[in-house]
Amino acid sequence: MSKCRIPLGPFHPLLEEAEFFDIKVEGETVVDIEMETGWMHRGHEKISETRSFTQSIYLVERICGICSTSHPFACVNAIEDIDNIQIPERAKYIRVLVGEVERIHSHLLWLGLAGHFIGYDTLWMWAWKYREPILKIAEMISGNRNHYGMMRVGGVGKDFDNELIPKIHPILDAVEKKMVMLSKAAKDDPVLKSRLKNVGILTKEDARDYCANGPTARASGLDMDVRRDDPTAYEVVDFNVITLPNGDVYDKLVVRVLEIIESVKIIRQCLDAFSKVDGPVKTEVKEIPPGEGCGRYEAPRGEVFHYMRSDGTNRPIRHKVRAPSFSNIPTYKASCVGIPLADALITLAAVDPCYCCTERSIRTVDTNNNKIDTDLLNISRDKTQKIRKDFLKKAKTPVERIFEKS
Amino acid sequence: MNKKQKFFDKFEDRFTNIIEKKERKRYYFNVKNKDIIEVADYLFNTMGCRLSICTATEVYDGLEVLYHFSDDSTGTIYNPRVKTSLENPEINSIVEVTKGAEWIEREMYDLFGIKFKGHPDPRKLLTINNPEFGEDDHPMRFKRDKNNRKK
Repeated sequence: MSKCRIPLGPFHPLLEEAEFFDIKVEGETVVDIEMETGWMHRGHEKISETRSFTQSIYLVERICGICSTSHPFACVNAIEDIDNIQIPERAKYIRVLVGEVERIHSHLLWLGLAGHFIGYDTLWMWAWKYREPILKIAEMISGNRNHYGMMRVGGVGKDFDNELIPKIHPILDAVEKKMVMLSKAAKDDPVLKSRLKNVGILTKEDARDYCANGPTARASGLDMDVRRDDPTAYEVVDFNVITLPNGDVYDKLVVRVLEIIESVKIIRQCLDAFSKVDGPVKTEVKEIPPGEGCGRYEAPRGEVFHYMRSDGTNRPIRHKVRAPSFSNIPTYKASCVGIPLADALITLAAVDPCYCCTERSIRTVDTNNNKIDTDLLNISRDKTQKIRKDFLKKAKTPVERIFEKS
Repeated sequence: MNKKQKFFDKFEDRFTNIIEKKERKRYYFNVKNKDIIEVADYLFNTMGCRLSICTATEVYDGLEVLYHFSDDSTGTIYNPRVKTSLENPEINSIVEVTKGAEWIEREMYDLFGIKFKGHPDPRKLLTINNPEFGEDDHPMRFKRDKNNRKK
């Protein structure tokens, strides 16, 4: 069978950053995938060397719009690591609260888009509907729906208003109820299962070899979570790390849904603690001594890693930033090969690289660079439709079911 | 004897400048270029660490690469540091130990011009498609004058 090249990108509907995927297919099966990056390189590391430590925190907040508190969280951890600065207990709870609110809305965003890409728009509308009240919580706490600007060296910038506690609890109750419903729906829904089960499997060995992290690694059976393993604020709360064994897209979906329920539990613990724990929210830090520090934080997508080196001035001389997708995107080489093209789209989306939207940027060409009218998004949706139809043929109609019971 | 002690005992004579930050479980130490593959192999395969990332830095007398190996069972980060010269920077690649090093080594070659010996695909990573950067342009390097001083 003849081989065909399908270039995806560089302006790609599945990624926050413009990336280029060169997919080689034989018939319908993906045989090889190559990646190129660099269109969105903004030189944050270089800019950070020209800014003070406090300005660097705001700078890294702008790296990602969705997990916008993860980078500042890891950045302040790295700066505090240089001099072993301890933060007040109330500040720990506020950091955890903001981090978990962000995790819920980021997972819901992914869930919705995953549903949209396989042509299951009900899931998309559900997930985004329940994301809205979560963003409202973020607005109540920080004043912004995104880009909270809460992190400071030595604590947080803004105290939590205890009067908000009774307003947040009912929203959490509602969201948790819906998430339990959603997790049950995901487990019961035959269409979702047949579309995602055993698709794009990333084995435990591959996940370890590619140094995958976050939900991508946890869905492949690697038991790791920076919140638990290397806590700088999370030691004050109690939570479970969700690990599933199969490594397919379905497990990645279930991991995220279950993590949302865990996050709700963590937020409840924080809210309960606020009425008991009082005091300052920031330790005064006069200067950062010469030295180096590593800071990390478990972002919704995985481990964010920051390395800071100070020479005693008010500016870092080296600031290294590593986002989780940097480690997770290369796992496509292991998970995409050998699967049908229609499943490649959801597999590429499964590690949760942020989306830019629209299918317009997909251009398909053959080996002679002539355009072919293939639309991956529609191939993916057609597959779901077909499964749904086949399923409905086998399933009994409501009338048949009534007669069956009697 | 715990894992950490075993590791430091095994490579006792090959590590220099060991910095221990016990409260936060961070260990920094210098390793020679010829030993880095063995050290990385021990950390990754025997101790079960994960390569978080590597950081390249230009310092006054050369370039250095700091590897961050994360031990997820204890929350420890081991940071072996390899130094190389400014004129002809070259370090042994650890891609044969873990595929997770493939992209970051390409990035360090791209931004700092450090060549990784034995890398299967030694292309640039970030500025590969940028028409303003040639093969010899490495944007994170300092501009130096004739006396090798930072401008």
